Amino acid sequence: MMRLAWRNLRKHPVRALLTIGSMAVAVFLLCTLISLITTLEAGVKQAGTRRLWIQSAVSLFVDLPTSYESKIQAVDGVARVAKWQWFGGYYQERSNFFAQFAVDPAKLFELWPELEIANGTKESFVGRRDTCVIGQGLADEYGWKVGDVIPIIGGLFAKPDESSWDFEVAAVYRSTKATVDDRTLFFHWENFYETMKSITGTPPNVGVFIVERTPEAEPTSIMATIDGMFENGPQRVQTTTEAEFNLQFVSMIGNLPRFIAFIGAGVLIAIVLATVNTMLMAAREQTHEIGILKALGFADRSVFWYFLGQAVLLCAIGGGIGLAIVQVTSPGLAASMASAFPGYKVLASTYATAGLVALAVGLVAGVIPAWQSSHLNSVNALRAEN
Amino acid sequence: MKVPLHYNLRSLFVRRSSTLLTIFGIGATVAVLAGVLALQQGFATLFTESGREGLVMFLRPGATNEGDSLWQRDRAERLVKTLPEIATDEDGRPLASIECYLAIRRARVAGGETNVPIRGVEPMSKTLHADVVSVDGQWFKPGADEVVVGEKLVGRIQNCRVGDVIQLNITPMRVVGILKSEGPFASEIWGDLDRILEALNRPTPNRVIARLDAGVSWRELDTRQRKDKEVPAKVLSEREYLTGQTAALSIILLSLGGFLALVMGTAAVFTATNTMLSAIAARTYEIGILLATGFRPIPIFFSFLFESLVLGLLGGAVGCLMALPLNGVETGTTNFQTFTEIAFAFRVTPTVLITSVLFSLVLGLLGGAIPAWRAARLTAIEALRRR
Repeated sequence: MMRLAWRNLRKHPVRALLTIGSMAVAVFLLCTLISLITTLEAGVKQAGTRRLWIQSAVSLFVDLPTSYESKIQAVDGVARVAKWQWFGGYYQERSNFFAQFAVDPAKLFELWPELEIANGTKESFVGRRDTCVIGQGLADEYGWKVGDVIPIIGGLFAKPDESSWDFEVAAVYRSTKATVDDRTLFFHWENFYETMKSITGTPPNVGVFIVERTPEAEPTSIMATIDGMFENGPQRVQTTTEAEFNLQFVSMIGNLPRFIAFIGAGVLIAIVLATVNTMLMAAREQTHEIGILKALGFADRSVFWYFLGQAVLLCAIGGGIGLAIVQVTSPGLAASMASAFPGYKVLASTYATAGLVALAVGLVAGVIPAWQSSHLNSVNALRAEN
Repeated sequence: MKVPLHYNLRSLFVRRSSTLLTIFGIGATVAVLAGVLALQQGFATLFTESGREGLVMFLRPGATNEGDSLWQRDRAERLVKTLPEIATDEDGRPLASIECYLAIRRARVAGGETNVPIRGVEPMSKTLHADVVSVDGQWFKPGADEVVVGEKLVGRIQNCRVGDVIQLNITPMRVVGILKSEGPFASEIWGDLDRILEALNRPTPNRVIARLDAGVSWRELDTRQRKDKEVPAKVLSEREYLTGQTAALSIILLSLGGFLALVMGTAAVFTATNTMLSAIAARTYEIGILLATGFRPIPIFFSFLFESLVLGLLGGAVGCLMALPLNGVETGTTNFQTFTEIAFAFRVTPTVLITSVLFSLVLGLLGGAIPAWRAARLTAIEALRRR
């Protein structure tokens, strides 16, 4: 029976191919949409558990006094604390967007064991104040290598004559975890501090403090202690786990999951209707053959499975091709979305979901024509024109 | 000789189950595109339509938005007092105001955190922003720790009802009224400039807004002021500024819409092709009769293309109907220039509808091309034999 179904699909190659094609496209789209959500969630789920983030309780854009550092360091359970300042500059054009941070160079690699030196050395970065370390992704994109000088225009921290901040590349890092960005430039906090002090006359503040807790310390008690220390100002702080810190940026995108569900529903409706349509057409054209099958003594049930089989077979092939397209295109998609969705990845569970959806569409689309055909009277069916 | 159009229209009706399924398939595709476009239109019109050409703002050179633009207070004051182009009211006071702006963390009523803009203004701001009115309670008193909140925040953000207290760092601010505006101000919290700066422990305001004397061009002023030794500034009209604010999100939404249209459109074209192929296969004999009675292949080609276009158009109409209920639905998204949440409504504008219908026609056209070509290539004898 399955062979007959297969033969029949081959009898109408154009129709079969078009149905397979639209199924493949739908599966590809579903996988891409689901992966956008899982990628965002991964940033939250796979966040470091040892790091705590201390930011202003008032606003993302309010900085904290540098004097907080030593007070935080003295808290029980704090292994080390580091300064972290979003720089918000750009290379040549505003559209060349990547993150830059002013950091405590010696602590950077201690706090972030996910970063691994690919080229150059840690020591040459730590030792010289005018250097920076960049991610492999940036090095590949702009062709930068150790020894190059990268001029960055300060967007938030402009120099008076709008001239650039120049950082010599001392090392290139590789990220060992997909959720840790490899398109970032890190430079010396001291360099930032001294330069800003000479420009504005007042020493700059710190964007965020990152704390690494000792393994045995209880994060909730550290967070409560730090928040409590600055309850009466001058700046209230909000200490969070890295997951919560990342979550605030995810929630900024708004109700993305609902939005994507809306689009996904549209895709599914369109594809189910298309497949039902194809299967109805196929059934109509095979009315005469059904009559023959029935006259030969095939039971209603066999005819039912025969049509359902055709539908599922079409969708399975289409779904398989769609998954193959996903597999082939995902590295390219990941690269083109690197700045908006760093670490874009299609999970195994996403492949499985999309594959199951394809089969389900086949079942749904096949049931109606299969039921109709199986209930045909063989005499009437034979009377139908071929 | 033209093939009568009602021949095609009737045949769509004869095969109605297949026609309906195709129409709804195309409809779902068009509805998704229309939904994304309606989101972009809602966001963009909120900003561009509320911006006024007659109101200009002064930002720090190099700043792209209010959040980035930090002024020294004395420079801002000097600008307001000394710039000759700034218009004055009947009492001779400059029609200008210094404002500060910051995205502050607030808890959503529904849970989670978001960034809400807070704006500190001088009394003249209310005159300059003529569309901002207080609808409930009263306006804040100058010099008091009082704020008014935008009507779009009420019910979305915690502590945003009259009588509530909003905690700003260590200063409690009492909510005394509700502010209404057609533009993005309806998603903001407003208070007294000095009190807000004090509470936030920030010495720096963010912008100066002003009305210029009649006939003064802000573009010329911009060229001159950028090079000013005393108070260098970037000058632009409020409309120009607000339009620029929508650019980033518009690009994201439009490219998402384009991507979806391409991918889902491909699937829809496949479906339409399928339907038309099967429609033509079932009517091979009829085509033979048409050819035998003297109809030429080219009119036959166009008649089937027309049939497919009607299919697309009906799909487009269904898609637009499916998207219409979205019109006016309130949602919130982040303005990626300032990282603040802005509430706005989907808007199914004529542009959205026209784009969607054109898209559906393209789907019909592409879907019908191959089948119609196949039909036109048949010969009368061959077609008549298929019986």
